[in-house]
Amino acid sequence: MTVWERIAAMDRRWIYLMCGIAVLVPFIIPVSLPVYTTPEVQQLYDAVNSLPDSSIVMLTYDYYPSTVAETEPMSRAALHHLFSKNCKVVTLSNIPLGGPTIAERVTRELAAEYGKVYGVDYVNLGYKANYVAVMKGLGTAISGIFPTDNTGTPLTQLPLMQSVRNYEDIAFIFVVADNATADYWVSIVNAQYGVPMCCGATAVMAPKLYAFVGSGQLQGLLGGMKGAAEYEQLLGRKDRAVRGMDAQSLIHLLIIVLVAIGNLGYFMGRRAKRGERA
Amino acid sequence: MRRTAPVITAFVTGVVVTISFFFNEQTTFIGQIQSGILIWVTIIFGMSLALGMVSITRVNFNKVKRRQEGWPYSLLVIISVFVMAIPSALPVSWSPLFGRNEGSIYYWLWTRISEPMMATMFAMLAFYIASAAYRAFRARSTESTLLLLTAVVVMLSRIPMGEWFLRLFHPSLPDWINIYIMNGFNLSVQRGIIIGAALGAASMSLRIILGIERTYMGKG
Repeated sequence: MTVWERIAAMDRRWIYLMCGIAVLVPFIIPVSLPVYTTPEVQQLYDAVNSLPDSSIVMLTYDYYPSTVAETEPMSRAALHHLFSKNCKVVTLSNIPLGGPTIAERVTRELAAEYGKVYGVDYVNLGYKANYVAVMKGLGTAISGIFPTDNTGTPLTQLPLMQSVRNYEDIAFIFVVADNATADYWVSIVNAQYGVPMCCGATAVMAPKLYAFVGSGQLQGLLGGMKGAAEYEQLLGRKDRAVRGMDAQSLIHLLIIVLVAIGNLGYFMGRRAKRGERA
Repeated sequence: MRRTAPVITAFVTGVVVTISFFFNEQTTFIGQIQSGILIWVTIIFGMSLALGMVSITRVNFNKVKRRQEGWPYSLLVIISVFVMAIPSALPVSWSPLFGRNEGSIYYWLWTRISEPMMATMFAMLAFYIASAAYRAFRARSTESTLLLLTAVVVMLSRIPMGEWFLRLFHPSLPDWINIYIMNGFNLSVQRGIIIGAALGAASMSLRIILGIERTYMGKG
């Protein structure tokens, strides 16, 4: 077996070990390289920043716990931005598995930091099944789809919800999603009700959403942990996403190096075989 | 009747929801019918989740009863489902340990077991992707070489270290990648895919409304 064949047939456990080291090392020795802001994130920041103070904003937690590393920093940064502008926040989730619980945990933690009162400054509507029907139904009456909040309190008992009947009372929607609900927020809520919105999505989903930024239906986009890190930097609060960028940098570089070595092994091995045949 | 009733229901519902799109939802009769249908849709969908719970219990219970291969896992599934579901459904007025609030049994199990497990499963993908990229990402043809180079350039532009590296060649290189790849090639292709998918969804909806497509009944 030649050296190149040996390289090409490298045991996958070595690759796993390298990945493990690439993820762990930056958490022990942080580098904190500067993050450059992309136009989509700047656009999102400007759109949220230009909202009048005390506006009512809907923030969605349309993500599963599996993607919290990418999406939760977005929700946290969004809440920092909104609460610092004294915006009233209505949260909801179209994900049955964990969405409402994550919304409850993240929103309460950040609200406590800013001294916000539940029911007055923010409300968690929780989850209702079938996101297409929910998004459409909210356009008529929020209380029709969510008669109570996540804890079962009737909306009529929550002061904030007395001034929020449907999308007409919502100034802006901040969608954080790791699945197709982002498309429906655009095609149903933005296209049919004209509510301005922006989106934070996982890196896998982001390329698709560039089309909606281009059409002006999304007023900004956070793509994956990089997008979240850029947003955190614009807010002047380097948090989880900025910390995670070191690990992401190393693991991306490792994959690039592995792809290069794999190709080198492939071509050198092929050349060696040709030489043997000749 | 078992075949006709669902077709009629799909036709009437589809037509009403389509027509009501052109009417005010709050002030017109047809708009209000649509609101009613939407509430019913969420209720039916919620019922389907309950049906899923019945199904998962039945399938795994049979496996345990017959001592089929891997039955201890099935037993674990049944226990997990009920340990999570029952305390979360019981009223908080009975005990603060019930319901889904912070401090409840459900909340504790969720934050300390479910959430880390799901995050771990997803994080493991990074290891598999690295291994798969090493083995399969080969420049075998012009197309695969183009794909490979684009992937490498985009990956570099999505990390601070890569951005710094790209800026060594030209200070605006990461911006050009964003303009020409993400907002150029990617955007135009995604638009094509989105429009194609929307046309497909529209034609499928029309087939269901008109009763041509009946696979949702379990038969062709």
